[in-house]
Amino acid sequence: MVVSSDLIIQVMIWGLYAGCIYILLATGLNLIFGVMKIVNFAHGELLMLGAYITFTFYAVSGFNPYVLLAASLPILILIGVIIERTCFRPILGTGKLNEIFISIGLIYIIQNAAAMIWSDEWRTIHSPFEHITLKIFGVNLPLDYLIIVITTISILIILFLFMQRTRLGKAMRATSQNRKGAMLMGINVERMDMLAFGIGAGLAGAAGTLWVVSGQVFNPYMGSIPAVKAFAIVIIGGLGSIPGAIIGGLIYGIAENFAILTLGGAWKDAISFIILILVLIVRPTGIFGESAE
Amino acid sequence: MKRTLGILFIVFISLVLIAGCTEEKPPGEELKIGVVASMTGSASTTGKDIWQSAELAADEINADGGVYVADLGKKVPIRLVQGDDESTREGGQKAVSRMITQDNVDILVGGFSSAVVSAHQQIVAEHKVPYIITGASTPIITRRTDVDTTYMFHHAPTCDDSGSQIILFLDDTVRPAINSQYNFSADRPLRLAILYQDSPYGKGHQTAIKNTITNSSLNIEIVAEEAFKMGESDYRTVLTSIKNTDPDVIYVTAFLNEQIPIETQAMRDIGLNKIFTAVEPNDDPDFYKGVGTYGDYSIVQSRFSPYTVPKGPTEAAYNKFVTDFDKKYGGFPGMMGVATYEGVYIAAKAVEDAGTLNKTAVRDALATIRMPQMVENMQDQTISFSPDCRESKFELTMEQLYWDESAKETRPKIVWPEGLKETSFVLPEWYEPGQD
Repeated sequence: MVVSSDLIIQVMIWGLYAGCIYILLATGLNLIFGVMKIVNFAHGELLMLGAYITFTFYAVSGFNPYVLLAASLPILILIGVIIERTCFRPILGTGKLNEIFISIGLIYIIQNAAAMIWSDEWRTIHSPFEHITLKIFGVNLPLDYLIIVITTISILIILFLFMQRTRLGKAMRATSQNRKGAMLMGINVERMDMLAFGIGAGLAGAAGTLWVVSGQVFNPYMGSIPAVKAFAIVIIGGLGSIPGAIIGGLIYGIAENFAILTLGGAWKDAISFIILILVLIVRPTGIFGESAE
Repeated sequence: MKRTLGILFIVFISLVLIAGCTEEKPPGEELKIGVVASMTGSASTTGKDIWQSAELAADEINADGGVYVADLGKKVPIRLVQGDDESTREGGQKAVSRMITQDNVDILVGGFSSAVVSAHQQIVAEHKVPYIITGASTPIITRRTDVDTTYMFHHAPTCDDSGSQIILFLDDTVRPAINSQYNFSADRPLRLAILYQDSPYGKGHQTAIKNTITNSSLNIEIVAEEAFKMGESDYRTVLTSIKNTDPDVIYVTAFLNEQIPIETQAMRDIGLNKIFTAVEPNDDPDFYKGVGTYGDYSIVQSRFSPYTVPKGPTEAAYNKFVTDFDKKYGGFPGMMGVATYEGVYIAAKAVEDAGTLNKTAVRDALATIRMPQMVENMQDQTISFSPDCRESKFELTMEQLYWDESAKETRPKIVWPEGLKETSFVLPEWYEPGQD
C-alpha cells in the first residue's frame, strides 16, 4: 500500500475527530476524579443519555441537532448533580469499594432505565449537513467533523476560562489540589463535588450529542466502549489532569487510526494499550499526572 | 370488616392455588417446549421476537387441538416455558439448566448468539434434550467435537451458507455487469475487498468466501482483507486502506450497528463509490432507517425481509405470519422470530413423527424429518436436517436497495436468484469500478 502525505493527513484528521469525543468524555472523568477522587465507571452511560436526549428533542422539535447541545448539556449537568447528591455523597470517604460498586450499579440502572424509556433498538439521526464535504488542502473533510472539532475546542476553552478566571473554578481547582486545605480556607467542598460531577456529566452529555450528529448509531448499551477508551486516555494523560486528557485523547485517537492503517483493524485497541503501558513504564503517573495527594 | 377482608383473602388465595393447579398438566399430558430467548439484556429486542413468535406458533397449534402423540392416543397441547438467557453466556446456562432440570421440558427451541448458545450446549448434551437452534449462525454450533451435539439441530443459515451464496451472486451477476458496462474483458476477475468483524462470525464468513472461490473456481480476486473490532464505530481509516486497493465490491460482515456507519462513512467521508454487500441480519427496518441515502444501490442479503416478499410458494405463509404477528404484538417479528416460529412447528412435527415424548425418539425423528417449507424459502422447498451436521438449508435472496422518496428511505427489490428475482441488478451512475 502506498502511504502518501495526503493519506497521512487524512488519517490524522480522522484521529483528531475521534479524539474530540474521547477528550470530552475523558475531561469530564478527570474533573470528577480530580475533585472527588472517585472513578465513575458509569461515565459512558452519561454519554448514552446525552445521545438519547438529543435524539428525543430532535424527534420532537426537528431542531438542528447541534442546537440541541443547549438541551443535552444542562440536562446532563442536572442528572450529574442528582447522581452526586443521591448516590456518591452518602458514601464518599467510606471506602473505595463502595464507590466502585455504586458506579458499577449505576451502569445497570441507567442502561435498564434507558431501555425501558427508549427501547433497546439501535437508533440514528441524520445531521442536516451530512451531505456537505469540504476539500481542504486535498483532504476530504465532512462539515460535520469540522463543526465537531470547533465545538469541542469551544467547550474546552469555556471550561478553561471557567476554571482559571472564576471564583468557582478556582475553588474547584483548590479542592482538587488539597481538599483539607480548601476546607480550611472556607471552600464548601461538597458544593465543589456537586459542581464537578455536574460539569463532568455535562461534558459527557455534549460528547453524546456530538456522537449522534456524526452519524453514529446508539442504543442503551453503547456507552461501555467509549468509556473504556476514556479511562485509557485518563491514565495516559494523568489522573486528574485536564490538559492530560486533551493530549491523551489526541494521542489515542491518532495512534489507533495509524494502527489500523499500518497493522490492520484488529490492532486498533492493542496499539492504544501498548502506548498506555509504555507511558506507565516511563511515567507511572501519566504524562501530566502528579503524585497522589 | 375484618371478617369480610379475611374471607376475601381466603377466596383470593384459593383462586390463585386453583389457577396454579390447573395451569400445569401432569407429565405426558402436554408437550413442554423450552424457549431459549434473550428477554433481558442487550439482545432483548430479538429475544422478544423469538418468544412472541414461539407463542404465536404454539397458539396456532393448540387452537388446532394440539400435537398428536400416538403413544397416548390423543392430541396434547403445547406449553411453552420461557428461558431468559439475559443475553449472556451465564444467563443462558442458568436458564437452560432450570428448564431441563426443574421444568422438565421435552424439547428446546431458540437460542440467540453463537457465543451464548455454545456456552450452554454442554448442559443440553449431558441431559440429551433435543434442541432446535434458531438464532445462532456459526456452523461450529453443530460441528464442534468437544461437546456431543447429536441432539442439536441448526435451523438458521450458517456463515458458510450465507457467505457462499453472496459470492455466487457476485460471480454470476455483479462481475459480468461491471465487465460489460465498462468494456472490460469478459474474463476480468472481480476485485473483492472483505471487511469483517473480528469474531467467529466474521471469520466464518471470511473462510466461507475463500472456500467458495476456491471450490467453485470462481473468477474473483481478493484485493483486501480488513478486520474491525466488534461494536466499532469509527471505520474511516480501515476504509481508506480498502480504497487504496481499488476494489470493485466491498463484502462487509457486520451487524447493523456496524454496517450503518461503515456504509455512511465509506460514501460520505472516504468517497468510496463502490457496491457494498451486507449479510442477512441487516435486513431490518432499523438498517433502512439508519443508512438513509447511503444505502442506495447497495446489496443486502435476505431470508425474511421487512419490505419485500419473495413471490412463490411461501408468499401466503409470509403474509399470514407477518399479519398475525402484527395483530397480536404489533411490529415486525424479525428473522430470528420467524425461524423460532418454524422451530415450534418442527418440534411439533418431530413429536408427531416419533409418536412419543421420549427424547431419544424425538431426536431420531428430527434427524429424519422432512416437512414442507413454511415462511422462509428452503432448498428443495423442504425443511430437513443434513445427516452430517444437522443443518437445514435455506434459499437466501439478494436484494438491491433503491431510494424511495415517499418513504424517505431505501427499499429493497430481490435481484437474485433468478427464480425469485423482481428486477435486475444495476450499477449506479456514480459507481467507480476498480482498475482494469
